[in-house]
Amino acid sequence: MAGIRLSGVRKSFGDVAVVHGVDLDITDREFVVFVGPSGCGKSTLLRMIAGLEDITGGEIAIDGRVVNELDPKDRDVAMVFQDYALYPHMTVFENMAFSLRYRGVARAEIRQRVEQAARVLDIGHLSQRMPRQLSGGQRQRVAMGRAIVRDPKVFLFDEPLSNLDAKLRVQMRTEIKLLRERVATTTIYVTHDQTEAMTLADRIVILNHGRIEQIGTPEEVYETPATVFVAGFIGTPPMNLLPVKLGGSGQITLGDRTITLPESRTRVIAGMPDVLLGIRPEHLIWHTGGEPPLLSGHAVVVEPLGSDTLVSLDIAGTPVIARLPPRLVRKAGEAVLLAADPENLHFFDRTTGRRL
Amino acid sequence: MRRAPTWPRHAIMLAVCLLMLVPFYWVIKTSLTGENIYAWPPSIIPVNPHLFNYVDVWYLIPFPRYLLNSVIVTIMAISGNLLFNTAAGYALTKQFPGKRWIVLLLLSCMLIPFQATIIPAYLITSWLGVLNSWLGIALPMLSTIICIFIFKASFEAVPRSLIDAARVDGLSEWRIVVRILLPLSKPAIATNVILNFIWSWNAFLWPLIVVRSPDMQTLPLGLARFLSVMEDTTGALFAFVVMVLVPGLTIFLMAQKEFIRGLTSGATKG
Ligand SMILES: Nc1ncnc2c1ncn2[C@@H]1O[C@H](COP(=O)(O)OP(=O)(O)O)[C@@H](O)[C@H]1O
Ligand SMILES: [Mg+2]
Repeated sequence: MAGIRLSGVRKSFGDVAVVHGVDLDITDREFVVFVGPSGCGKSTLLRMIAGLEDITGGEIAIDGRVVNELDPKDRDVAMVFQDYALYPHMTVFENMAFSLRYRGVARAEIRQRVEQAARVLDIGHLSQRMPRQLSGGQRQRVAMGRAIVRDPKVFLFDEPLSNLDAKLRVQMRTEIKLLRERVATTTIYVTHDQTEAMTLADRIVILNHGRIEQIGTPEEVYETPATVFVAGFIGTPPMNLLPVKLGGSGQITLGDRTITLPESRTRVIAGMPDVLLGIRPEHLIWHTGGEPPLLSGHAVVVEPLGSDTLVSLDIAGTPVIARLPPRLVRKAGEAVLLAADPENLHFFDRTTGRRL
Repeated sequence: MRRAPTWPRHAIMLAVCLLMLVPFYWVIKTSLTGENIYAWPPSIIPVNPHLFNYVDVWYLIPFPRYLLNSVIVTIMAISGNLLFNTAAGYALTKQFPGKRWIVLLLLSCMLIPFQATIIPAYLITSWLGVLNSWLGIALPMLSTIICIFIFKASFEAVPRSLIDAARVDGLSEWRIVVRILLPLSKPAIATNVILNFIWSWNAFLWPLIVVRSPDMQTLPLGLARFLSVMEDTTGALFAFVVMVLVPGLTIFLMAQKEFIRGLTSGATKG
């Protein structure tokens, strides 16, 4: 059980810098998810924590001890790889027992620990199979079992579910969450899938181009995205972002339409020349009179999902998606008037991308 | 659409195989009878086959001693190749300064025929004081460049994540090679064993140069001596040839599946 501290961690491959100064404090038993688009440096960061990549700059400490110069085997971390990395020439049992053999654990204890981990993961009946005789889901479990038997200070997962089909992925996600209740070890979990991140994480670290965009609980990153990037990355469909112009006294101009907002909402943007208005598809509501609508346009695409319907509009050249109750809009071309609670509007500086 | 019948193709292949096997058959037949190979018409079936020629070879010349020398030298050569080629092959899967030059140097050394290196090889062997010894005979055959590259290709085909997993599991570099890479490189090992067996078992020129006393001679040298000492002994000579061939054939038959996979693995695994 241990916390992890990253301070100013950088990584370059030759001249190419891929991680630019990451600071992060992970507390004991926390489940942290690194999420970001492909190529943003998630795996590199994880591999540096594991000791599989040299650290170009900065410091990584596990359990209060700087590990920069330590070999992976001395860091007491266990890792689950995207392709599972099961040893093809060993049985499931041997795969799980392998690392314990090199740590001087007695035979009887190895057997007992492997059996216990196999029971937790429900793979006891597979122990004499070879990895090639297992299905994808079973391999995944064995890979996790191999990490669990170690009882390490830290679990590291690198996109462990991305090789599974959609249905199995959802199932394994639930199982990982259940496993959390039983095996509460500090965990760093890397994924490019924001749904996985939202469902599993205690805290999410959103990475982009080797930099942290935001650190926060799933609620925080959803409700108060720190940057345009986070706003566009978290949530499906992502947040709509519309360029707006500011008028005097709480007025904003959106295409050819001018709306007046409460002064409490517009104070933050007073005097800003270039602002992006962000609003989530689920926060756009069907306009029913009263205040003038926020957006008006014609449906371009209508996608019924059953529980609700996604309607795409074109607002002054910017595509906007609204998640509306079913049957309000039935086909493309219908006129749509939308409103929103001013509390649900987000503003971002268009040049820096920062939240206002 | 009807497929063309396959039997003509098979018949041709069978005929070619038989043609290739005729000399072997002739050697075995002659070794069993001792008949004159120039006899006309030749007899296809051996007449009065017997094993006296084999007995003669075993007792008239120091065959057991030749065999012992050949076996020991070959075992040394194969062990040396497995050890050195594994180490060199693993090193070449890593990135390090000057790697390009080392690869280039190795590749260009493959272009130099062994005959051209005999004098320096002799001088080095002499300087090490191992002329006329098993180690001296095996020395230039302890590592083979082409076999280093066979190991390199095989190791590179092992997924990176397996090596990473082993490293996180706590294995040292040597253990990674021994416990992970080698068990997954059986075809490369088989290829190394077979090729080096063939080269070392059949080596003639180098043993001829470093061996001084008759009791250090290997089988090919023994064969040559046999030819010059004995006369009119076609049967015994052919028996000798069979006795030299059999160990090689046995090893090849035992390992041929892995061997063929090893030769083609670079092509298919990339
Ligand atoms: N061994 C390497 N050599 C050179 N560049 C690398 C290496 N590993 C990763 N990179 C580069 O670093 C960047 C981040 O990679 P990675 O951490 O694997 O991204 P992610 O896991 O977020 O998809 C990528 O642009 C990738 O091309
Ligand atoms: Mg990755």
